[in-house]
Amino acid sequence: MEKILVGLKRVVDYNVRVRVRSDGNGIETDGVKMSINPFDEIALEEALRIKERGEASEVIVVSIGPSEAQQQLRTGLAMGADRAILIESAEPVDPLSGARVFLELVNREQPGLVLLGKQAIDNDNNQAGQMLAAIWGCPQATFASKIDIQGSTATVTREVDIGLETIEIELPAVITTDLRLNEPRYVKLPDIMKAKKKPLDITPIADLGVEMASAYTNVAFDPPEQRTKGVMVQDVAGLVDALKDKGLI
Amino acid sequence: MLLDQLKTIVGDKGWVTDPEALEPFLSEWRDSFHGRAAIVVMPGSSGEVAAVVRACAASGTSIVPQGGNTGLCGGAIPDATGTQVLLSLSRMNRIRALSPADYSMVVEAGCVLADVQAAAAEVDRLFPLSLAAEGSCQIGGNLSTNAGGTNVVRYGTAREQVLGLEVVLANGDIWDGLRTLRKDTSGYDIRQLFIGAEGTLGIITAASLRLFPRPGTLQTALVAVRDPQAAVDLFAVLRGRLSDQVQAFELISDRAMRYVLKHIPDTRCVFAEASPWYVLLEFSTSAAGEAVEHELLQVIESGLAQDVVLAKNSREQQQMWRIRHSISEAQKREGASLKHDVSVPVGAVGEFIVAAEKAILQTFPGARVVAFGHVGDGNVHFNVSQAKSADASHFLQQRDAMASLVYDIVAKFGGSFSAEHGIGALKRDALREYRSETEIAVMRAVKKALDPHNVMNPGKVL
Ligand SMILES: Cc1cc2nc3c(=O)[nH]c(=O)nc-3n(C[C@H](O)[C@H](O)[C@H](O)COP(=O)(O)OP(=O)(O)OC[C@H]3O[C@@H](n4cnc5c(N)ncnc54)[C@H](O)[C@@H]3O)c2cc1C
Repeated sequence: MEKILVGLKRVVDYNVRVRVRSDGNGIETDGVKMSINPFDEIALEEALRIKERGEASEVIVVSIGPSEAQQQLRTGLAMGADRAILIESAEPVDPLSGARVFLELVNREQPGLVLLGKQAIDNDNNQAGQMLAAIWGCPQATFASKIDIQGSTATVTREVDIGLETIEIELPAVITTDLRLNEPRYVKLPDIMKAKKKPLDITPIADLGVEMASAYTNVAFDPPEQRTKGVMVQDVAGLVDALKDKGLI
Repeated sequence: MLLDQLKTIVGDKGWVTDPEALEPFLSEWRDSFHGRAAIVVMPGSSGEVAAVVRACAASGTSIVPQGGNTGLCGGAIPDATGTQVLLSLSRMNRIRALSPADYSMVVEAGCVLADVQAAAAEVDRLFPLSLAAEGSCQIGGNLSTNAGGTNVVRYGTAREQVLGLEVVLANGDIWDGLRTLRKDTSGYDIRQLFIGAEGTLGIITAASLRLFPRPGTLQTALVAVRDPQAAVDLFAVLRGRLSDQVQAFELISDRAMRYVLKHIPDTRCVFAEASPWYVLLEFSTSAAGEAVEHELLQVIESGLAQDVVLAKNSREQQQMWRIRHSISEAQKREGASLKHDVSVPVGAVGEFIVAAEKAILQTFPGARVVAFGHVGDGNVHFNVSQAKSADASHFLQQRDAMASLVYDIVAKFGGSFSAEHGIGALKRDALREYRSETEIAVMRAVKKALDPHNVMNPGKVL
């Protein structure tokens, strides 16, 4: 195949303890460490490995997000992507609109494969890949833990509740990645510097002509309830008493 | 009699006498020290500590304070007589005050270091002391050993984090010096005496600590360098250009790296090709991330560094730190080892490592030097693993001979045979040998003045 399109979302680093903004309208991102969504990084790593095996010739990374998402795209370029596209949107984009943006890019770029993370760790929606496959009218293989490409078919091992499922799909297709697919590579400083010279195209989201109707509105953001401190019980009888005390049994 | 008295003072929750339950308190992490004791008391308040001290002093019984028992020199382990009382601070683990506006907090001695860091982070402040044992060691132990760790290059040792102390003295008096002042010239600064005293002058029961603004985003990099001297030169260049942004600068030898990759699960190689030495570098960036990248590129171009990998997310940062923090654990799996926690002037680190390794190999053929440490502080953990074929106990018998060899070289460079782990029971002879009579005499005078009846952790330090 010629091209692989990979989505890279800018998210709060997984190790940061997120806080709700003081206006209650979202989470605090000022001065907070941001990274590539970990599943997306895995998707990019897989795309690069496919390319390195000679099964693709170009890896394009795409981010829909604020201007700062250029940082994540630059990291993607440093890992080895060939070029980057930022669809700039100051406002968060819901999964369906995101899928429509990707469809527009798919129509322009005609990739043989779109690799996305199974979900972004900010909203945990787990929807974009499935929606894109549906509106594109192409096969999908979600939660991939192994991907094998032979010509125009892909054999994908999926992590499902009952174990592993292996399916074969025709390309072009959408594949979403799970945690065990691979371990993304480290990036070396010289590659970071070289990545600064690779093409990064910025298009305001409004210029795409994509319908941005949001299917839902956010009503409220609340931090999870604080866990109360545990108590030590002496023995099983003590445990039973404690549970009874709380009216749990 | 004394035992009953002590039990009454500390209450039911506050003591252990069951031999099996005592065991973890009586031996050290590395297993190199074992002691005996009939009781461990765990007072719940400074008042109880004071009462315990008075009771012990009255009966002429000496006390060994213990924090997280992660010390490496036997300081927290009682002697073999079984007559000493072990006093554990672990129940005194309250945070008494936390003031983000004042950039200070007051904590009890038994607070685990990681909990103190977390409490500070909770109010958007930094408590910078950080070491591999931070999940177990306690503030009281950290201050009593004047612990160092990985952030010293920017924030200084434990001593520099202390604004005030509360100490139970040898006569049972409680000195409340929990001030949070930055400036205070009212007489002798007596808190300094207790810091690094390893429990020989009094029992620290609480401390007021200095907090810092949280640094901007932290970046972590692993740098491949040719030799320790290149690491020293690299440090000089980066410190000069980035000044306070350098937060950690840790040297790791290839052998240390290999042992970690071999023995520690979930570690992985950062560079495809091995380098003889590595530096783990951490620096804070504000908006200036780009500037740092530029400086780093320059050090590659000038040949000081061979290659640099920058962590692109916190997962990779943790992976890099895991390598550094696992060295001791990995080295354990390679057989017996002898460790030397030494410091030399920062500029001499490179020369020292080369000279000491050469001397070791001449005298102990086949021994494997595993050197790593905080180059930014001139602190080298110059550890030596037994030859692969050698007999472990025979190797360990050479402890003193090897130590003298290493310490003599350290002395030639104007260094210290004890950089951050303290003296404890382990290095008393070295203290007498490498410090002047005048210096020892002053230490003895201080000890005599504060603890005339030798109740506080006798047999340690002096
Ligand atoms: C894996 C590992 C890594 C380490 N890395 C570092 C490092 O990077 N830098 C470093 O400096 N050290 C390091 N250490 C050594 C050790 O963790 C430190 O010395 C630590 O500060 C000891 O704290 P603790 O609470 O465990 O003290 P303990 O071991 O319990 O006691 C140490 C000494 O302090 C005395 N003491 C303890 N609490 C009190 C008190 N409240 N009042 C008076 N005296 C007291 C004890 O009697 C003893 O003499 C490391 C240890 C391990 C196991």
